[in-house]
Amino acid sequence: MDHFEGINFSEMWCGIESAPGYLKPVVKVATGGTTGSSLAICGYYNVASGIYKNILVIGWEKLNEGGATTGIITAFDPVWERPSLAGALGPLALMAGMYSAKYGITPEQAAKVTVKNRSNAANNPFAHLQMPNITIDYVMSSQMISYPLRLHDVCPQSEGACAIIYANEEETKKITDNPAWVKSVATSHYYTFGTDDKMYDLPTATMASKKVYKKAGIKDPIRDLDVAEIYEPTSWSELAWTEALGFAEPGQGGKLLDEGITQMSGELPVNPSGGVLSTNPIGATALVRVAEAAIQVMGRGEKRQIPDVETALAMGFGGSLWTELLILGKEKLR
Amino acid sequence: MSEEIEKKIYRGRIKVPYKHTAGAYVERFITEIGKNNKIMGVKCPKCGKVYVPPKMICFTCFEKMEEWVEVGKQGTVKGFTVVTHSTPVMPLEPPYAYGIITLDGADTDFVHLINESDPKKLKIGMRVEAVFKEKPRKRILDIEYFKAI
Amino acid sequence: MSRKKGQEKIFEIKWKTDLPYRYSIGKLAVKFFEELKKNKKIYGSKCPKCGKVNFPPRAVCADCFVEMTLSDMVELPPKGTLEGFTVVNYPFVDPQTGGMRPFPYGYALLKLDGADTYTMHFVNETDYTKLKVGQRVEAVFKEEREGNMGDIPYFKVIKEEE
Ligand SMILES: [Zn+2]
Ligand SMILES: [Zn+2]
Repeated sequence: MDHFEGINFSEMWCGIESAPGYLKPVVKVATGGTTGSSLAICGYYNVASGIYKNILVIGWEKLNEGGATTGIITAFDPVWERPSLAGALGPLALMAGMYSAKYGITPEQAAKVTVKNRSNAANNPFAHLQMPNITIDYVMSSQMISYPLRLHDVCPQSEGACAIIYANEEETKKITDNPAWVKSVATSHYYTFGTDDKMYDLPTATMASKKVYKKAGIKDPIRDLDVAEIYEPTSWSELAWTEALGFAEPGQGGKLLDEGITQMSGELPVNPSGGVLSTNPIGATALVRVAEAAIQVMGRGEKRQIPDVETALAMGFGGSLWTELLILGKEKLR
Repeated sequence: MSEEIEKKIYRGRIKVPYKHTAGAYVERFITEIGKNNKIMGVKCPKCGKVYVPPKMICFTCFEKMEEWVEVGKQGTVKGFTVVTHSTPVMPLEPPYAYGIITLDGADTDFVHLINESDPKKLKIGMRVEAVFKEKPRKRILDIEYFKAI
Repeated sequence: MSRKKGQEKIFEIKWKTDLPYRYSIGKLAVKFFEELKKNKKIYGSKCPKCGKVNFPPRAVCADCFVEMTLSDMVELPPKGTLEGFTVVNYPFVDPQTGGMRPFPYGYALLKLDGADTYTMHFVNETDYTKLKVGQRVEAVFKEEREGNMGDIPYFKVIKEEE
């Protein structure tokens, strides 16, 4: 995104040398953290509407060239918010603190999320932080960087890119006999002004999940979804987001993890790829969630593959606290 | 501006440090300018077009270009303008001139500064020569400007 | 990201943006900063329809879509409560100055007494074990005020008799 690399009008760079956008219509979509899921949903709209037959969607980020915290500050209100804002981590720390104060979620439960995701990442050759032997103690003894967030409670700054091809039904037959179908998509906003509400329980995720579940015929997400790739910028947020998505009752996200339901072998594995805690090239991050969900549906996950995936959920989460969701499936929606 | 409007304006700045990984072609182009005062282009193996600044792929043939050629330090002005309006983010104090310059031996043009701010002394077709910076800083401005010859 | 050993040094062009901008703050914020500068007072805006009090003052009620004007501005006490808090303890460049933001610093989501919305601001406590949700705080005003948010450099932790 422009404010991270300092390159405005970056779509102009989709020329002949990098992305094959030369002589083709190119559109830039940038919505902060949700950029990747907005890209995925725009890709779907472009093809499903009948306007294009085949399109290539690309998300990317080179956080080494700028800095996430500095760039994010420039995205907020210059008068009220920029003076004290510390990028995304400050507000995420506030949210984690409010969430744990309300429900009694413990640092151990949060640390378990990092342990789960970074050890999952060891099975993913594309992951940035692969830590097969990571322990709860290791996470809990890392430096406190913004109470209650320790260094290993938060996502890294990564460089990377992700691309997905969308094709209509006819074109799909020419490309693959094993596609992932988009069953439903939703975008939900709740943001009025930055601090009008606390929003640590991410109401937009609840709003969006109700929409996508209804369209895809999902009544019980734990039973009807086979895998979920969610956008967890911190360990604490995975617990809160799983509640918001209806995987657990409010305050029960820690229990959901403790019971092993979101583990690789659980009833609804969450983030077999290692999630955002392992890899975070921001403009690509949410598109990676969609790609990983598609990989699971297509059965191409190799060491990180969950057996017999029929239906997968992908989530994008952004700085303006909105949520985008996609449900992908082996079967077309009838 | 009226006082009433002025009261409603918050004046801020965005100051952010960046680094840009420019790629191998830009690296060679800028390094040759700074170290050896040479201007290098690349040549398309198919159509023979010489690109300055260098690009990886020929826009007309879609061929990868790997043959580096030195082009002239002198060139011809294809177009120019004189900047007289001042803004806070300009490379020089106005007035200064920009030219579209085709170097001898190159088939593409590039934009650079010309050290002549009197529009009467500039004309399309005039000849110019690169003046190199004494202390290069790994920038395109290691060619400080072009001077009329 | 750190480079692996033996990897070639990558050619990087370094630069720093320094872009001036002018941001129109709106008439409610003009009154807010005038009152802050002249009278050390804090003003919010109250929706004429639902009565929700916004601090910082907003021009449109997010619930009713009703516009709030200067006559809907109400004075709020300088005291409030921490709803959430953290101590920022990591280095980063502040894009307002181009230099490092000093850290650690206390940073909180707080609610002024009488307001229905929240605001984020600095708090003068860098030991997180001394902060809690529900902690009472009070705005500290600069003596030489200029009519910007710097006039309230931070909120200080206070003890109050019940
Ligand atoms: Zn060619
Ligand atoms: Zn209202």
